[in-house]
Amino acid sequence: MGFNLQLLFTGIGVGSIYALVALGFALIYRATNVVNFAQGDFAMLGAFAMVVLAIDLELPYWLSILITLALMVGFGALFNLAVYYPLRNRSFLPVIISTIGASILLENGVLAAYGPRPQSLDSIFAVPGFSVGDVFFDSQYIVILVVAVVMVVVQYLFFERTLTGKKMQATSQDKEMASLLGIPVIWMIMLTFMYSAMLGGLAGILVAPVLFVTVGMGSSIALKAFAASIIGGFGDVTGAIVGGLALGVIETFGAAYVSVPYKDAFAFLVLFGFLLVRPQGIFGERISEKA
Amino acid sequence: MGHRGNAKGPVIIKSGLFMLAAAVGLAAFAAQAADPIKVGMVAPLTGPGAESGRFQTQGAKLAADEVNKAGGVLGRPLELVIEDDQTTNPGVVLAFSKLAGNAEFVAFLGPIRSTQIHAMAPDALRVGKPVLIGGTDPVLTHMGNPWFFRFRPHDVYSARVIADYGAKTLGKKKWAIVHSTDAFGTNGMKNLVESLKGMGIEPVLVQGYPNNSQDFTPVALAVKQSGADVMGTYMTFEPDQGIFAKQLRQLGVTLTWVGSPTTVTTTALKLAGPALYGSYAVVDFNKDSSGAAKAFAAKYEAAYKSAPDIFASWSYDAVHVLARAIGEAKSLEPEKLRQAILAVKGYAGAEGTYNFDHNGDRLHGYNIVKNNNGTVVFDKHIDFDD
Amino acid sequence: MRASVRSGKSPPGVTGRRGLAFGLYATAALMAVMAAVITPLSAYSLNLLMQAATYAIAVLGLTIVLGYTGQINLAQAAFFGIGAYGVALGTTAFGLSFLGALAIGVVLAAGAGAVLGLTSLRLGGHYLAMVTISFQTILTLVLTNWVAFTRGPDGVPNIRRPALLAESGPYLGLCIAALFAVAWFVWWLKTTKLGRAMQAVRDNELAANVIGVDAYATKVAAFTLSAVLGGFGGALFAGGFTYVSPDQFSFAESVVFLTMVLLGGAAAPAGAVLGTGLLILLPEWLRFLKVIYLAVYGGAVILIMIFMPDGIWGYAMTRWRRLRPARPIDPGIIAPLALTRETARADNSVILSVHGLSKHFGGLKAVDAVDLTIHRNTVHALIGPNGSGKTTLLNVLNGIVRPTAGSIALDGVDITRLPPHRRARHGLGRSFQNIRLFGAMSVLDNVIVAAERPRPLPALPRLRARAGRGDGGLECHALGALDFVGIAARAGAQVGSLSYGHQRLVEIARALAGSPKLLFLDEPGAGLNHVEKDELVRLLTRLKGHGLTILIIDHDMAMVERVADHITVLNFGKRIADGTPAEVLRHTDVIAAYLGEERPALSRSYGAS
Repeated sequence: MGFNLQLLFTGIGVGSIYALVALGFALIYRATNVVNFAQGDFAMLGAFAMVVLAIDLELPYWLSILITLALMVGFGALFNLAVYYPLRNRSFLPVIISTIGASILLENGVLAAYGPRPQSLDSIFAVPGFSVGDVFFDSQYIVILVVAVVMVVVQYLFFERTLTGKKMQATSQDKEMASLLGIPVIWMIMLTFMYSAMLGGLAGILVAPVLFVTVGMGSSIALKAFAASIIGGFGDVTGAIVGGLALGVIETFGAAYVSVPYKDAFAFLVLFGFLLVRPQGIFGERISEKA
Repeated sequence: MGHRGNAKGPVIIKSGLFMLAAAVGLAAFAAQAADPIKVGMVAPLTGPGAESGRFQTQGAKLAADEVNKAGGVLGRPLELVIEDDQTTNPGVVLAFSKLAGNAEFVAFLGPIRSTQIHAMAPDALRVGKPVLIGGTDPVLTHMGNPWFFRFRPHDVYSARVIADYGAKTLGKKKWAIVHSTDAFGTNGMKNLVESLKGMGIEPVLVQGYPNNSQDFTPVALAVKQSGADVMGTYMTFEPDQGIFAKQLRQLGVTLTWVGSPTTVTTTALKLAGPALYGSYAVVDFNKDSSGAAKAFAAKYEAAYKSAPDIFASWSYDAVHVLARAIGEAKSLEPEKLRQAILAVKGYAGAEGTYNFDHNGDRLHGYNIVKNNNGTVVFDKHIDFDD
Repeated sequence: MRASVRSGKSPPGVTGRRGLAFGLYATAALMAVMAAVITPLSAYSLNLLMQAATYAIAVLGLTIVLGYTGQINLAQAAFFGIGAYGVALGTTAFGLSFLGALAIGVVLAAGAGAVLGLTSLRLGGHYLAMVTISFQTILTLVLTNWVAFTRGPDGVPNIRRPALLAESGPYLGLCIAALFAVAWFVWWLKTTKLGRAMQAVRDNELAANVIGVDAYATKVAAFTLSAVLGGFGGALFAGGFTYVSPDQFSFAESVVFLTMVLLGGAAAPAGAVLGTGLLILLPEWLRFLKVIYLAVYGGAVILIMIFMPDGIWGYAMTRWRRLRPARPIDPGIIAPLALTRETARADNSVILSVHGLSKHFGGLKAVDAVDLTIHRNTVHALIGPNGSGKTTLLNVLNGIVRPTAGSIALDGVDITRLPPHRRARHGLGRSFQNIRLFGAMSVLDNVIVAAERPRPLPALPRLRARAGRGDGGLECHALGALDFVGIAARAGAQVGSLSYGHQRLVEIARALAGSPKLLFLDEPGAGLNHVEKDELVRLLTRLKGHGLTILIIDHDMAMVERVADHITVLNFGKRIADGTPAEVLRHTDVIAAYLGEERPALSRSYGAS
């Protein structure tokens, strides 16, 4: 029993990492219809920023977090201007490739600047976790899960209850119409990228103590987070969380009961299954083309 | 008056001749001094292997500088030319063939990843010059390629030392083996299983995992459930190792750990922290294993402000042995060089004492070290005769 | 200029030119192969060129699937790997000959591509991207972990080349010969029926379906071809480097292939070769940058996407075309368009019979139990206020949207369950409210795509399948359709350069080229001025005279009154009136629907609403 409970907790923990990154994916996709292959690298940047601030410059931990988040907001704006904005009227393919290019640029840029050595980051809590019977609850995983849920609630409230949030929703559903209604579409998209980058950075900060800080840490999560968001329902915020958690649990149980070396395959097999049977995911809606 | 006049003439001629001779000699010397002996090296400067590549480059450069400060080789300076292999197979083939295409290079330092060495093996065979490698796949020196010289003990030995130390010295009989599914991990596992079998021990768990797993709970649980009292590991990347070590301890698993060299690198210690305290590792380089090792560590630290590790020590030794061999052979001809390298016996390098066998392997043992609360302490060295 | 009479053969000048071009190409290929065999190249150059040639073959596969058909494939490295492992394991573990192993590798890659395509090409865009990524990831895992079969992470060394080509020089010659052959094949593919179908699917999949292209089958074919070329390139690669390991065939490599095709230009084979060459040479040239060169590479990708969306070759071609505009086609005397043989049956029988047709979107009843009967050889108008369900009804009739209930019979055949491209075969044609031409193709090619589809009437003469300048049947028919609507003179132009009104005419011509029995025109008058509308009316009358039946949706009541024999009125998805224009336009319900209140008869001056 303890065995399965442990797997469940860890699965949820790993899943919350995917969920946090998937939230960022979902946001940008909803606003721009674009999949951002550099989303995972936002997390990597956030983690490295923390290392530089909290460890190299020895600033207080909380201050470092705030500065990192602020920097990521700025970076989101920069990313939008450099990568998405010039291609905003083109089909999705050039944008995908452009984000892939951005991913390569970011990873190798950081590699050149900081070097290849993995770094470690302390977690927010001094206590690493606690045991209940046979099961160990890693405190960092708990933090990640809590933050992910909080972010989903915040995001929901923001999009449904505030005017700006509704404007952003309108923009993502129909850019032209929103523009005709006087909504500053360009600015809305800018906000989306800024917020999404900050989310990504936050994910990185939270994940770093668990996964360590390496140049490639983002890309390994990103692909699975992307799969998770499709499973949950692309563009849907609840879908991101559910998909992420589901994926984490499936992966962990699959590893334990079927095969650890093929662990990464489970995520993609599940995705494959969904795409064949229910491509809109658990919560998504079918979008049909207008003739 | 007449004498003086007569004396002047010959003096002028003599001094003129002398100056001419000196000038020619100086020119010759200058020409020779400016004409370096070129050694090519392929190393990963980009890609996943970039970290090890940095150590490799620095170790080799340190050795080259020392050789040159001591007067060079055959009176000429040694010049190291490095090409990036991008940690990919086509990358290493291109990097190596680019260097090899230049006839000036007398020898090459190869990569440390065995798959890459396999990839460039055909080109190495074709170029017919010594290639000094750091890969630990045993097959590399048993492929019929006479130009490979290995500067680290290969993985049959690491496995034998792990098995020997764990089973004989520490007396543990219930073995779990955790290994990466890449070439290094899989081969290490195979060799360890072989060595244990040779002692009549069947491992209770053999568990592979893919590199860059973000979570090791299933593996840690498997180890816990197997009831093993000792674990041998071949893990390639330190972040994986750090996560695994932490989760193992979190689940209350306290078995003895004897790991491959990655278990005890500076990065591994930093990332895993207390989770690795009390573990053992086999490692080809440890600064306390010999006087030569200590000296190397001190010099490296002085030059680069960080501690060296296995990725630096082998290239350091390789350059020194090469310089020595060139000096002994008194020639740059490939076959003579090859013989000279094989003839190296009893050379005390940072990795150990070099005695090359006919396969091009020169080291037949590993050091055992222990992680004592964050400090790596040398325990002993185990060598095999065969 | 109608001086020359068109014969069935192409003028000698054109054939001669084409033959010359082919001859030059073949000579160039031969010379390149000889150079590879004879020139003493360094091992470095040999390796570089071998990598470039084999990668280029794989990238040409992406030209087909992405450039021609517009489908994304992020698993090309997986197919490359299958081909490579086919040769690797075939020649080492199974003792096959190089050729045999190569064949097996390619067949396996094709099989994988077909299976993947069949299962996932109904989805598009991001979903397809994810499926291909999934396949790629799973394949890498299998290659690494199925140690008993694939030799695992160690890889497979000592791959054997064919005996005669054991030396690198001759082997490079083989690679280069293969590259020339594949490049020519990919170029030739563009001019075939399948190639045109692929481009139609890329430019507008919906329209392609409606004019008779089986878009799904076309996409699967493209995907499979792409996998074949990927496998072929991989097989040659394995022989070249004589060692393969699983870490080489990862998602990162798929990204590299994709970047190569986009950099060079996906629309033409030359672009693929150019992109491959650049991206293999560039890192070599940038070696001096040492550590930061990959970062520079990533930045370069972004810049290229922004400033050269068609890739370098595409960019160059656009510039070239501006300097040298295409020569206008001299149509000669165009044979009259053989539309249908319906003129023989002026019996006013029912050609389309619709019963109780409904389409619900959740709670919204867009079409609500509509009955519709269209008689042969009439112009039947479908009108109603905005949002009344007219276009939705048309979409259901075309097969673009599945009905919730009801049945549709075309000339006695029940077509309710048929996909759009099959309905076209039965004689349904359509022009769209929003123009759906194939933007990257010429006017003539747009029409040819429709003309070369399976014909609905066995009585019509079979058209020869080959197209090309002056090759008789097919092109004649297409020009005939264009001539019918009056724009044959613009046959060689790119559709984007036409005015809106002319584009609409091309759409109609395209619909006509499929020899339909029943033609749907969705708001053909939208955006036309008075003069153009008059011409449209004349066109419709002529079509009717040729035996065609027309269903037209339009808002211009004056025009509708002029052309329609019969009008059906929809409001809120329901049929509220059906009869002659005189009856319908005075019907109180109809007036109320448009104006919201009772009013005397609509006057003739009622313009577009």
